[in-house]
Amino acid sequence: MKQSALLDHPFGARYAAALPAADAARQDARETLALEGLPGPKREEWRFTPLRGLAKIPFIPAASADDIDVCDLPADVPRFTDAHRIVLVNGVYRADLSDTASETGLTVTEAKTPDHGVDAPLAVLNAAYMSGGVTISVRGVVAKPVHLVSIGAAGAEPAAFHPRLAIAVAPAAKLTILETHHGLPGQPYFSNPVTTISVGTAGVLRRYVLVREDSEAFHLATTVADVAADAKFDAFHLGLGGALVRQEISVDFVGEGAAVRLNGAYALMGRAHHDFTTFMNHDMPNCTSSQVFKGVVDGESRGVYQGRVLVARHAQKTDGQQLHKALFLSRGPQIDCKPELEIYADDVKCAHGATTGELDPDHLFYLAARGIDPQAARLLLVQGFLADALENVDDAVVRDILSGEISGWLMRKASA
Amino acid sequence: MALLEIKNLHVSVGGKKILNGISLALNAGEVHAIMGPNGTGKSTLSNVIAGRDGYDVTEGQVLLDGQDILAMEADERARAGVFLAFQYPVEIPGVTTSAFLKTAINAKRRAEGKPEIDAMEFLKLVKAKQKLLSMPDDMIKRALNVGFSGGEKKRAEVLQMTLLEPRVAILDETDSGLDIDALKIVSEGVNTLRGPDRTFLIITHYQRLLNYIVPDHVHVLVGGRVVASGGKELAEQLEAEGYARYLSAA
Ligand SMILES: Nc1ncnc2c1ncn2[C@@H]1O[C@H](COP(=O)(O)OP(=O)(O)OP(=O)(O)O)[C@@H](O)[C@H]1O
Ligand SMILES: [Mg+2]
Repeated sequence: MKQSALLDHPFGARYAAALPAADAARQDARETLALEGLPGPKREEWRFTPLRGLAKIPFIPAASADDIDVCDLPADVPRFTDAHRIVLVNGVYRADLSDTASETGLTVTEAKTPDHGVDAPLAVLNAAYMSGGVTISVRGVVAKPVHLVSIGAAGAEPAAFHPRLAIAVAPAAKLTILETHHGLPGQPYFSNPVTTISVGTAGVLRRYVLVREDSEAFHLATTVADVAADAKFDAFHLGLGGALVRQEISVDFVGEGAAVRLNGAYALMGRAHHDFTTFMNHDMPNCTSSQVFKGVVDGESRGVYQGRVLVARHAQKTDGQQLHKALFLSRGPQIDCKPELEIYADDVKCAHGATTGELDPDHLFYLAARGIDPQAARLLLVQGFLADALENVDDAVVRDILSGEISGWLMRKASA
Repeated sequence: MALLEIKNLHVSVGGKKILNGISLALNAGEVHAIMGPNGTGKSTLSNVIAGRDGYDVTEGQVLLDGQDILAMEADERARAGVFLAFQYPVEIPGVTTSAFLKTAINAKRRAEGKPEIDAMEFLKLVKAKQKLLSMPDDMIKRALNVGFSGGEKKRAEVLQMTLLEPRVAILDETDSGLDIDALKIVSEGVNTLRGPDRTFLIITHYQRLLNYIVPDHVHVLVGGRVVASGGKELAEQLEAEGYARYLSAA
């Protein structure tokens, strides 16, 4: 029942009143939001990731707060030298912090209105209060990668922001983008980005996403991607921080021969919650999707992987693989893993697998036999488990950045 | 006093008795070889000395410099100078050989009160030792033992030994899987480490290794017992006759 699926939430009239009058697109979304609300625990896709805690926080629109002052890039934001840098603070493009030298084929514009209808519930919330973002269009081969930095910050009150990102890769064009999401400590902030991606015929998009939000922050990101014939979409998502993080990624195969690789890793400590929810909509023949997700969990944390692969009747010769591997560092955490295969075609190659385990005692003994103490040995093995996931990151510079982020997480864990 | 002394060692695994009162004294400067049929407890003995979990020592002692090490953790024993070259080295995905080697070297240096090795010095040292063992330079960039061939794994074990310079080195069938040239190279690696402050316990099925690493003592292990000890001629005799006479006696 709709009623039981609804949650009371802070994004109603009070929230809207803090903002200037809405345009038609936003108004439309607000009406849908008023009807549908935020998903409650009875909504199957949200069963493992409850929004009760989030819904109790009286967020104000970050745009309406006049006590937020971010004038520098925080020191802990990785520096991707030799990349175009686009910086968003609370979802709003900041030319003063960005550095996008002009390059033929690359166009970056500020997004003004939520012009793509995405019907996931958090995308409706995003459209209702869309507060900035950028559109990145690519023609031809863009040699320099793009580094998009998102900084979240609240003032005296908890603040929310809802940016729109669009990445459009023209036919045969190529782009590598690294997105890193960070924030400042203080009152909780809520980052609710929606990203729409289109990869044109025979285009190539490499998208790497790091979510390392502040430990009190919320991050619920929705990505929808259209992948055309013979195109390649290669994604890697790393979740290393935030109180509640969900990275939801849906891919529509809109042409034959497309290849999608969607990999990810997460590491959780304390009471952190991280959710990867993916949907591969195989609606065309001869496409491949491959997913490998790895998680390390400690403390009382909770990791979620929900992967749905749908193969339409006419989508023959689909190859759809998914694998989730979890490593428990203690008895406290919980993992919910729900792979779903829905296949209506008869000539396909699809499989899913899941493993959970603790550190291998044979590995620990091997390291001990070389004089490495148990704490250092565990560190090395956990790092190895996560580093192994990075093997799939083709860009060497990005791989180094992400590997450094994993070391950072381990250091935070050691000192926690 | 022997550098390593094993005294009347009885060990069971999961209630099954494997070692039945082994006594051996390894003096500094000596090389001891152990030979024996499959499943007689050679690896069990090495694992117990190195401190692997899962073994019940029901009786006996293992003394390093006269101190019982059986209560020590495996990593403490290693830092005290015990090294085991594994019969089956494990593959550890994601951990690069170089990160592993550096961590191991620094663990030892810290225990000795020395500063951590600097990156340049580390690379130089590893490169030199790799050259000695005819190993390619880029091997240390790969994940530890992952996809290494059988012989490469054994060479990597010997590389670790030469880098860590243990006082007691146990080589559990390090020769199996090595080609003829590699056997020579690895033996030379061991021989260069031979010295007055060090002792070796070499487990092998083949006398050929002992042509290259000439042992001071050879012991025959059958049914968890040392049933015979002698000089290097004992290995030659075993090669010719097999274990038949010891098996019937045991
Ligand atoms: N964890 C265990 N559980 C049960 N039995 C074990 C265990 N470990 C060893 N054993 C048994 O103990 C015996 C001795 O094994 P060990 O590996 O020490 O033999 P080995 O002399 O090294 O043989 P090989 O020459 O084949 O390497 C074998 O019968 C083996 O099956
Ligand atoms: Mg053995």
